[in-house]
Amino acid sequence: MGEEEAKQAKQEEKEEKAKPKEEFRLSFDYFNESRLGIFALTICVLIAIFPGLPAFIKGIGIMIVFAWGADSVRKTARYGLGTGVPSIGVLAMGFGIIGGITGIAVASMSFGTLVVGGVEIAFGVLAGVALLALLGFVSGNLANGDKFINMKIPGLERGMTELGIAGTLAVLIEISIVVGTYDPAKVLPNVINNGLIAAIFIISAFGMLQPYNTCLGADERRARTLLMSIEIGGIASIILGIATTLTLSAVQGVPLIVLGAVVWVVFYRAYMKACMDEAYAVKGTGLIKTLGG
Amino acid sequence: MEPITLLLVLVCIIIGGLLSSLAVHLMPVGGAPAAMSTATGIATGCVMLMTGAAVTGLFTASTVASFWATKPSVILVALSGAVGSMLMMGFTMFVANLIYIFGAGIVPCSGRVAVDPITKESQTEYKTPRTDGHGVPTASFVSGILGGFSGGFGGALIYVMLVSDSYAHFSVATAGIVAMGIFIANAIIAAYNIGGTIEGFHDPKFKARIRTGLTCSLIVSALCGVIVVIAMLTGTLVGGVM
Amino acid sequence: MPVISLFAWMLVIAFLAFIACMFEDLESDIGSQSNPNSQIQLAPEMGYIHRYFNKAISGEGLSYALSCTISGTIAMLILLQFESVGPKAAILAIPVGAAVGSLVHMVRSSTCHVGREAAHKRFEQPIYLDVFYGHLLPIATHNFMAVICITAIAYIQCNLGILSGVTGASNPFPLPLLCLIWGLTVGAIGSSTGDIHYGTERAFQDKPFGEGRRVVYHGQICRYGDCGVRTSKDVASFCAKFGGPATGLAFGLIVLFENWRTVIGMLLGGLSIEGLANPAVAATWGIGIGVVIAIVLVILARTLEKWARNKYGPFVGE
Repeated sequence: MGEEEAKQAKQEEKEEKAKPKEEFRLSFDYFNESRLGIFALTICVLIAIFPGLPAFIKGIGIMIVFAWGADSVRKTARYGLGTGVPSIGVLAMGFGIIGGITGIAVASMSFGTLVVGGVEIAFGVLAGVALLALLGFVSGNLANGDKFINMKIPGLERGMTELGIAGTLAVLIEISIVVGTYDPAKVLPNVINNGLIAAIFIISAFGMLQPYNTCLGADERRARTLLMSIEIGGIASIILGIATTLTLSAVQGVPLIVLGAVVWVVFYRAYMKACMDEAYAVKGTGLIKTLGG
Repeated sequence: MEPITLLLVLVCIIIGGLLSSLAVHLMPVGGAPAAMSTATGIATGCVMLMTGAAVTGLFTASTVASFWATKPSVILVALSGAVGSMLMMGFTMFVANLIYIFGAGIVPCSGRVAVDPITKESQTEYKTPRTDGHGVPTASFVSGILGGFSGGFGGALIYVMLVSDSYAHFSVATAGIVAMGIFIANAIIAAYNIGGTIEGFHDPKFKARIRTGLTCSLIVSALCGVIVVIAMLTGTLVGGVM
Repeated sequence: MPVISLFAWMLVIAFLAFIACMFEDLESDIGSQSNPNSQIQLAPEMGYIHRYFNKAISGEGLSYALSCTISGTIAMLILLQFESVGPKAAILAIPVGAAVGSLVHMVRSSTCHVGREAAHKRFEQPIYLDVFYGHLLPIATHNFMAVICITAIAYIQCNLGILSGVTGASNPFPLPLLCLIWGLTVGAIGSSTGDIHYGTERAFQDKPFGEGRRVVYHGQICRYGDCGVRTSKDVASFCAKFGGPATGLAFGLIVLFENWRTVIGMLLGGLSIEGLANPAVAATWGIGIGVVIAIVLVILARTLEKWARNKYGPFVGE
């Protein structure tokens, strides 16, 4: 009985502890799957077509796009893919690389970029986004169609479309962070030929695939999972910030590093706290409970 | 750029995609159960294994492609990549068998067929009951070697078409990463088609699913090819230094 | 002379590859990453509360690609800053890059353990803080060893021309991309070979030796060690005796023979300090040697299988 009571007391304590976080949870509850998608798509497309924006705003953009991608991965991988969860995140970035490079190529055409009052608007990159949305939709239909692979995962078509878009947007925004423009004469030497594209590829893939893979389990909770995607966005910002400081300018890079560091600390703490609070118990040490005893 | 060049690049990307899809189907992949000796094959997911093999091939292909100052020989570079992946698969499967036999005391045997189609040896009595086979038997080994060859050929073919100055003429890193992107997209769709484990060409699953897999891969790689050709048409990504 | 130094560098690369993959496998065992993770994940659901570390970052290939690529990126940026110093800058760049890479890896693994155990709430699996803190450092140090070797391999390969003095010997890929390639490969090999020793043998040490682990055993992992309750750290010492070195051997052999056949091909294609005289001949010889090695491998594998079948015999037991 005593144990029971102690457990109850602990439960109550836990609930009390959880209360100040209510506001935060509400915010992720508000951004349910559809709202988060629409919000992320609008914001990130706006950020992607203005390569002249300051880097730390784009840094916020990649966090949003990671959260969206992670949400799409969660949505589709929940039903079991037959192979590991990470595969679908890598698929997103495989799409993203193709789309990003095509987007930059189209943006470099004369019709691809408008200059209005000194502000560069790169509409061309949207061609890459649209093409990859198409590719994602087709792959989703192939994977889910009765006549093809027939995976029977609800919403896989939408999930893959979103992942194609999110992957492409992530690549585009990260490239525009490091170079500040979509001019291939600058993008090629500063991002692709020096190999930074590899880091962009793998960090973005992790921003999308790791949250769900890591939090997978019977008591997985969406808000907790998505905290982690923003935390990875923080790490990505720090690394891209270092690259930006060294290749573009410290004015762009240092605020991005600061933003990344602050976001990382805040969200890492929030995530760890959420996990510790929601775990069955947190013990300093102890022996394991044996079966039947 | 001339239309014939564009068409050739498109066709080669489709061939590369089809070969990589075929390669994933040929892999003896046991997934997580294979690490517990509960399924025949290599103990990892198809995507990871195939990507690992393909990038090894890509590495060799890039070295070989840099032998030529201009106009690398497409077939020789692609074959070098193919052999690179083949060796990666071969050594991995061989050492995996070493660990199965000497680390866990397990005889490699197939769980899906009663008789190994290559050695004609019976498999059933060597299999632990209530498992799906264990280890990498000869048929799966040969299948894996062929899969590595086909996947490496596909990946390296896409790479060399993109990097060669007589075709797309992208920079080395662009070609490498785009080839990886196309390869990964195809490999993952194929992995979804397999849905878990497969033992190789002798597995009944192979015959049942290969057609669907190749159809999907044809569509996906054709679309990828069209997208890459659009990027080529703009002509701004040219400027690769071999 | 430069041609001999090309061979010397090739052997250095193979040696580094051996070390890298061995530590990669041991590191993944410490955290039960990749395939055996399915058992660690399943155990609480079967009522087997455990004290293993649950490091489900992603498959090993991707998580190694992450830490190696970050390491390569940082190293590349440092090398760019100290371009005037020449190759000496690598003495600083490679360790710093690897340190950052393994730091990121450690952070990623810390999030995994709490995330997965928190998702096991209904199976009454607690988070043991001593398990959590006690494993982070071994993970980071083993990872550092693997990542520094991979970064060094990538550095040597993309500067081989300067280091050995043979024009055109360098790989054209940039450093981070090579790190991505070798990171993916090292992880793929580590998970496909090394995990067997952990998953089949160490995780089920209390089950009969010499048979595949039946589906009914899944999740019923061995939770007690030589003394007290087993944690993931104890796994490394066991796997370091066979699984780890064997995995290292796989990757070492791959890197060795990949480079060896290319270099032999280059020699037959008329390699001199100025570069290759006959690229087509070089490539053809490389392909030919590779095919021969593959055939030898098939024969070896067949011999090994035959030996095991004769020696061990058919399955006995129920």
